[in-house]
Amino acid sequence: MKGMKVKTDSPVTRKAREGVMEFLLVNHPLDCPICDQGGECDLQDQSMAFGSDRSRFTDNAFTGKRAVEDKNIGPLIKTIMTRCIHCTRCIRFASEVAGVDDLGTSGRGSDMQVGTYVEKMFKSELSGNVIDLCPVGALTSKPYAFTTRPWETRRIESIDVMDAVGSNIVVSMRTNEVMRILPRLNEDINEEWISDKSRFAYDGLKRQRLTTPFVRNNSGELVATDWETALFDIAQRVKDANPATIAGVAGGQADLEAMVCLKDMINRLGSEVLCTEEAFPMINSGTDFRSNYVMNTTIAGIEESDLVFLVGTNPRLEGSLVNARIRKSWVHNEMCVVLLGAPVDLSYDYQYLGDSFSVLKEIADGSHPIAKALADADKPMIILGSDAIQHNNGSLILDTVKRIAKNTKKSLNHPDWKVFNVLHRNASQVGALDMGYKPGMDSLKCDKPSLLFLLGADADKLNNDDLHGNAGVIYIGSHGDAGAQMADVVLPAAAYTEKDAMYVNTEGRAQVGRQAVSPPGMARHDWKIIRALSEILGVSLPYDKLSDVRGRLAEISPTFDRPGRVEETGFDNVSDDVTIDKITHTGATAPVVPALLKLRDFYMTDPISRSSLTMAKCVQAYDEAEANPYSKPEAI
Amino acid sequence: MSLFQKIGNIGKIFRQNGGLVGSYLKLFRTDDLKWGTLVGEDKYGNKYFQNDYYFMGRNRWVEYPLSVGHDYDASQVPPEWHRWLQYIADEPPSQLPLPKRKWMADHTENLSGTERCYVPYSTTRPKVEAWVPPKNNL
Amino acid sequence: MASPRIVQQGIKQVKPLMSVDRTEARRRVLNLYKAWYRQIPYVVKDFYLPITVKMGRDKVRELFLKNKHVTDIRIIDMLVIKGQMDLVETANIWKQRNHVMMFFKDTVNPKPKDFLSKFYEGQE
Repeated sequence: MKGMKVKTDSPVTRKAREGVMEFLLVNHPLDCPICDQGGECDLQDQSMAFGSDRSRFTDNAFTGKRAVEDKNIGPLIKTIMTRCIHCTRCIRFASEVAGVDDLGTSGRGSDMQVGTYVEKMFKSELSGNVIDLCPVGALTSKPYAFTTRPWETRRIESIDVMDAVGSNIVVSMRTNEVMRILPRLNEDINEEWISDKSRFAYDGLKRQRLTTPFVRNNSGELVATDWETALFDIAQRVKDANPATIAGVAGGQADLEAMVCLKDMINRLGSEVLCTEEAFPMINSGTDFRSNYVMNTTIAGIEESDLVFLVGTNPRLEGSLVNARIRKSWVHNEMCVVLLGAPVDLSYDYQYLGDSFSVLKEIADGSHPIAKALADADKPMIILGSDAIQHNNGSLILDTVKRIAKNTKKSLNHPDWKVFNVLHRNASQVGALDMGYKPGMDSLKCDKPSLLFLLGADADKLNNDDLHGNAGVIYIGSHGDAGAQMADVVLPAAAYTEKDAMYVNTEGRAQVGRQAVSPPGMARHDWKIIRALSEILGVSLPYDKLSDVRGRLAEISPTFDRPGRVEETGFDNVSDDVTIDKITHTGATAPVVPALLKLRDFYMTDPISRSSLTMAKCVQAYDEAEANPYSKPEAI
Repeated sequence: MSLFQKIGNIGKIFRQNGGLVGSYLKLFRTDDLKWGTLVGEDKYGNKYFQNDYYFMGRNRWVEYPLSVGHDYDASQVPPEWHRWLQYIADEPPSQLPLPKRKWMADHTENLSGTERCYVPYSTTRPKVEAWVPPKNNL
Repeated sequence: MASPRIVQQGIKQVKPLMSVDRTEARRRVLNLYKAWYRQIPYVVKDFYLPITVKMGRDKVRELFLKNKHVTDIRIIDMLVIKGQMDLVETANIWKQRNHVMMFFKDTVNPKPKDFLSKFYEGQE
């Protein structure tokens, strides 16, 4: 009301708040000492500030306090529903942000319950965020239950590497152990959410770890050794190898420092064969222009767009927070979403164009109605999934999508708006391409390398036929996965919570992750391993300190020197022209379908999440939920 | 007791313990010289004696076999003889054998301070489980 | 033409610790050395050190010669004072065996300096 004075700290207000507190606490158990929320509980804080110093609760009829049965909503979230104060934040999150109407209330008054109506799994890739949202201890983390108190942990700000979004996280550490991972506010990237894989896969950091170097002996078994033996063994292999065919492969979670060291070392040895595990078609201008392979409009830019055209991607599972951003726009800005690919559940409605390449070609020719919609849109976005262009016809898809983007740009009112975007899946990919790694292993397979360095490359895309007859394989990484199994020498490195390292996300934003715990056993930081190895190989890299490596990174690209910021990609039009000029059309008819289709595929995608027990339980729970005749199975 | 009896006892002691030299060696090994009747012998070679001439508490005793040398201790006495030696029973097991149950384990002496002594080990799980490379599958 | 003040500063004497000239300082050093030299057999015996008397005396000589470049009388005096204190602590067995053996540094591993040895050691 006009002229109204609102007093927020008057004695009357305080008294009123005290009254509300009293009502809340009448229906709330006094189990703070055994509650996981203790120390970070909103109700606890409120009662410290406004609560009465003594209770007037007398149970005259000896009926006990209100008690509610606990719900089982999956292996991630532990529910103690007696503690629920019916704020309905979890319900609102599920239906508004996650787009899963699984949670709701039943009953009225003191009989009201928050739950899933029937017992079922809370099937969302963002489900863990309700733990942060819950102001009391009604929803807590199951893997974290009864492990630490918040005041015992040290919080280290870091970057997530489970996908290419580069979510900002806080790693809670105690006694050199990662106790949990929480999101950190960054309005440009993940807002205040993180995906379940980022949040719960941390127990994979404690299993299947490489803690000593291994060297394969004469009978073909990997035997644990010390660093000196392993490094000298590699030196012998390098001596025997043809220097021009020594190759390096950067895996999905490799950090910038390690990649630049590996590149410099292999270049000094006289080889140029450096590639990433994830492919990207080198057709036309390929990765020469940065605008060809990053998300040009940035994640926050999605909110400005009015039409998003998704090609061959399932953003919900490939970049959960990109999808949350699209959904946000879809809800609030009446954005239209068009999808070409698999008919997956994206948690919002979209116009489905099928999965055939011919539709894409029609759009490029302008004969499809969507071509007109794109042209009419104010700020259209085309998001091409990295997964769709992994195959042989990837170059054709990329070329066609670029052509659509160019056609769309012609009729655009905003000359600065960049239509073309790529959604990557791996945290290392953009950084590696910025650095000059060749995408994909086709060139490597042609060269038949005589010695192969795998930098955390665990996607199992190579076999012995791709290598030279008696080629040696050296694996540098943190987990015993596909890479370590095929390697002749295994060098234990640090996982992402164990090193100060930089990553470039799909927008092209370099970010610094900080070390929370020390690497286990004899494991060392990745770049130091390569630096030490280079000294033994006689091609010493000129960096002794992390700052030296960062200096070298800054020489390569200014983006690496400005962590946290997105460098605008230049030569947008030039890259389009170069691309369009050399079309080579052949009849490719394979459907444009991403690899991750169901939520089940989401949980275990990389060495860390594959080692994680929690993620394995999620897969198991998902299968059980699908088998449950009373729950709706996932579409597709 | 007359002086003659005492001298006679000294004679018995010397006789039973193998003369002057034997008695000296016995005294050197056990710090004690006694005479008494052999009540029995167990499978470990311990010999049990009794002589009620000595006061209660000293009238039953054990002589350990020469094979253990000076490394003898009370834990080398098996439980059935222990109960006789400590006056828990009146009859020695040689006269009144105890029932042998199938769950009864063999007697072991206290192994503390030897190579076979019990050493406690950590039962906590390691914080980080290391990868074990798969065995040769070539 | 130097002004009287500068001349005065130039010839200004610093306050001596003990010795007024080099001869006296030298005498003090030699006296301390002799005292250590004579004490060594007792040190070896009292502390039951795993060294011979000769080794001990060589070590004393080595430690004295370590400072032979020192020319400032005041520094020499201070070193003599410290040496004297050390001697008293040793002779009165205020020290323990390991404190005496610390002169020999037989259990001290040198810290790694270059990148590779630091890497092997697992240090930064």
